[in-house]
Amino acid sequence: MKKAVFVASLFIFLFNLEAFSLIEETPFIFEQPLLITSAGQSAEVQLASVLAKRAGLTYTLSKIATSKDLENIKTLVLVLGTSLKGLGAAGLDTAKEKARVLLLLTEAQKKNIPLLCLHLGGESRRGQLTDEMIEDFLPFAKMAIVVKSGNKDGIFSKICKEKNIPLIEVEKTVDALEPLKQAFKTGSSANPA
Amino acid sequence: MKNIKLSLSLFLLLVFSFSCQPKRIKAPELPLDRHQPFNFVAKKGMVVAAHPLAAEAGLQMLKQGGNAVDSAITTAFALNAAEPFASGIGGGGFMVIYLAREKKVTVINFREKAPGLASPRMFEDKGETSEELRTISGLAVAVPGALAGWNHALKKYGTRSLSDVAQRAIEIAEKGFVVSQTFSSINKEEYEKLAKNAGETSCYLNNGFPYEEGDLFRNPELARTLKLIASKGIEEFYKGEIAAKIVEAVNAKGGIMTLKDLESYEPEEQSPLKGTYKNFTLYTIFPPGSGGLHLIQLLNIARNWPVKKWGHNSPAYIHHMSEALRFIFADRDHYLGDPDFISIPVEKLLSKEYATLIASKIKPEEILNSYPYGKFDKTQDNKENTTHICVIDKDGNIVSLTQSINLFFGSAIVPEGTGFLLNDHMDDFSSDPNSPNAPQSNRRPVSSMAPLIMFVKEKPFLVLGSPGGTRIFPSLAQIIINIIDFGMSLDEAIESPRFFSYSSEGKARSISLESRIPEITIKALEQIGHKITIKEPFDKYFGGAQAILISQGRKIIYGGADSRRDGYGVGY
Repeated sequence: MKKAVFVASLFIFLFNLEAFSLIEETPFIFEQPLLITSAGQSAEVQLASVLAKRAGLTYTLSKIATSKDLENIKTLVLVLGTSLKGLGAAGLDTAKEKARVLLLLTEAQKKNIPLLCLHLGGESRRGQLTDEMIEDFLPFAKMAIVVKSGNKDGIFSKICKEKNIPLIEVEKTVDALEPLKQAFKTGSSANPA
Repeated sequence: MKNIKLSLSLFLLLVFSFSCQPKRIKAPELPLDRHQPFNFVAKKGMVVAAHPLAAEAGLQMLKQGGNAVDSAITTAFALNAAEPFASGIGGGGFMVIYLAREKKVTVINFREKAPGLASPRMFEDKGETSEELRTISGLAVAVPGALAGWNHALKKYGTRSLSDVAQRAIEIAEKGFVVSQTFSSINKEEYEKLAKNAGETSCYLNNGFPYEEGDLFRNPELARTLKLIASKGIEEFYKGEIAAKIVEAVNAKGGIMTLKDLESYEPEEQSPLKGTYKNFTLYTIFPPGSGGLHLIQLLNIARNWPVKKWGHNSPAYIHHMSEALRFIFADRDHYLGDPDFISIPVEKLLSKEYATLIASKIKPEEILNSYPYGKFDKTQDNKENTTHICVIDKDGNIVSLTQSINLFFGSAIVPEGTGFLLNDHMDDFSSDPNSPNAPQSNRRPVSSMAPLIMFVKEKPFLVLGSPGGTRIFPSLAQIIINIIDFGMSLDEAIESPRFFSYSSEGKARSISLESRIPEITIKALEQIGHKITIKEPFDKYFGGAQAILISQGRKIIYGGADSRRDGYGVGY
């Protein structure tokens, strides 16, 4: 009987692990409230807010956030993905967007606000301009959650390994919900910066 | 001895009969890399469309004895189910039909119209044009024309009923299909407006999230709607239950459509617009479809240059064509509108003399940065967002059809329980209230579509079209020049890297080009002074052309389907 319970428990544990895989053993734990913003103005920033809402997190969504939006924020969430359409709608180009994000990150670092990076679009939402955002800003992160197909060429794995950043891969966007919840476990303090 | 002779005779007879059998065309296998040029091949008939299910539906109709018009409408319906983000009954378009027996070309204009209450400043919010109002509010929706246009073509030139041609679309919508990378990517790009307008419980989202490649997409509500239309006719859409739902949905989002707008919608049958390039003749659409007119303009200008000598996608070629486009856009901004309400000097714009004048102004190593529109007397000329379908049937009848709901997923407004997306084609009107293309009551907005059929020695040669907004006609011109001047095969011409430029307020804008164009070419263009915007290697920005090329004597029919979208061809 004990053996059956153990096997069943092991099965349930392994089953839950299917939805996402953790490449690094010690994930960072973040605090709320979050500021969710985009690096590249792709539509996935909206998805991130849906995930945050469903995860029951306290968040603010600001697609073109600046330093003043960091007030009272405990975690910065950067959704990586470039859309020329999104940039156009925001009145930005790639250079201005990079400058905005860089200023924001610099200010966040000064205030000891940790960064969580997301890439939710998968392989179909990778491209040269998105890759530039990944290369420029992922190294600042304390953790990254990505849809697996977007890491087929290992771009996320490579940077995360070099910078010792925990990387969580999920099969689909909706699968990012669970690791997102766990990254913000209540009652835990954030790891020191 | 007799038995040996008999056996030998039978054996020889057998050998003879095998050697006399017509050689069947063995369909080559599709390459693993979908971007690799690949020509579909057939002998009797072919359908090329932006989704395999839709192309197959069209082919099935041909094999069942339907003609090119029956097949094109079947394919159009099927695209509503299989490629709902790019066209459907909530949109409109244009169709060029070639009737082989009569040797006649005709055009069906089923472009949407502005509602009766439309006005030039309708998109202004606190004195400024609102992008949101233009694209995702109820004001963005123009009166749909697709069903009326399809029905007109079917009744006049088809042989099948509305119910027959809608059947396969109903099946696709009911059973669903596996989502492709293209669908998923576009679904993700348009997530925000879908969540806002269609809603998280809509079939256009997967439990509130975008579809991933490999997910199953079903649209049972669309199936029910199409069944209703199939049984009761298009009157249900323009006057009945569906009309009421359209008006309710549009006005709930701030629109101004009335039941009368829908009731009074009529497609138009028109003479085609005719142009020539070298020894080829092409037939396309009149304004408000501007694409055809500007395509002919661009080819007229290009014929003045030694493009073959310059080389495909050489700096000289890209520079000259970009400058030509900048002049053409100046004409477009100044002259184009709905010819039912304004006069457009079509003949003057298409004249070879005007084209030669433009060509002579363009300098080989310099950007002009000043592109005045052509000044003509405004005499009355006779009128003689998106997916594309090409069909040829066994009798040689041809349909070249481009249709759209404008931006992907249109306005994302779905009339209650109907499953189809309403267009946002009001965004094709100018935001300048003084423009000839300003929104006004019952006007058709200028379209960049350019479905065409090209002839050589009075025989059909090429059927071509593409989605892609303002990039449509520049892309089609490049494909035509790729085939005629650079000697490429059909799909090679389609898959080849593309570029685009335009002018605005008389000033040059950057050249957008695919990253496959060599660095050395880009540097050379920058040295001339062009600003360059690099796009992805097979960017949808440059359209998704579909084409059929007919070899002389119709021995072989080739199909080319753009890998920038989910293009596919089938024939028999």
